[in-house]
Amino acid sequence: MIDQPPQAAAPAARTWARPLVVLPALGACALVGALFPSFSKRSTFAVLLFGGLLIWLGSSGRLPRRPVPVRLTGAATWWLVPTLFLAIVELVNFLFGSTYQHPTLSVLLDPVLDRYPARAAAYFAWLAGMWGLARR
Amino acid sequence: MNSLTRLLTIGAFVLAFAGFATVEWVARRDGSRVPTLADIGGFVMRYRSGRLPVGRIAVYGFWLWLGWHLFAR
Repeated sequence: MIDQPPQAAAPAARTWARPLVVLPALGACALVGALFPSFSKRSTFAVLLFGGLLIWLGSSGRLPRRPVPVRLTGAATWWLVPTLFLAIVELVNFLFGSTYQHPTLSVLLDPVLDRYPARAAAYFAWLAGMWGLARR
Repeated sequence: MNSLTRLLTIGAFVLAFAGFATVEWVARRDGSRVPTLADIGGFVMRYRSGRLPVGRIAVYGFWLWLGWHLFAR
């Protein structure tokens, strides 16, 4: 069942909230954010700035909201299968010490995210995800 | 050199993400009763405790932590 309150019907999609504007803006933010290496103050600042800005937009009611289900069907439990599987694999490897032989996800991703193109692409995916959440 | 446990671990992660992709694909089919991941996120974000949007805070908090964990820590 989908809930569509009147305001969710989108107060005539604001010009700046359209994909044609938002996607390039998020792309620019990703290109800048990915410049900063991990463990630097600038990278922390960039994550907090970009993430905080999107959270503020999502909480301020300035964005047209997408419809959200009022309740979920039992079929939603299918999502538990990959979720629990991922959680168990991550937990087991964490308990093994997150070593080379037993890497957690972040240990596997670190060398990939050290390369700027992959880092920028992942940064964009993260920002796009945050944008999607802000619209809910 | 890759050990067997490392390869098995990588395979398990690939399998987990293939699982997510499969459920999302099923959810997007016409007439599917399975909600999309975005629907799940939106549903969780609706949860409130009194006037406090607990679900929204939790989901935003998780996503912000994820970004910090991947790009800043």
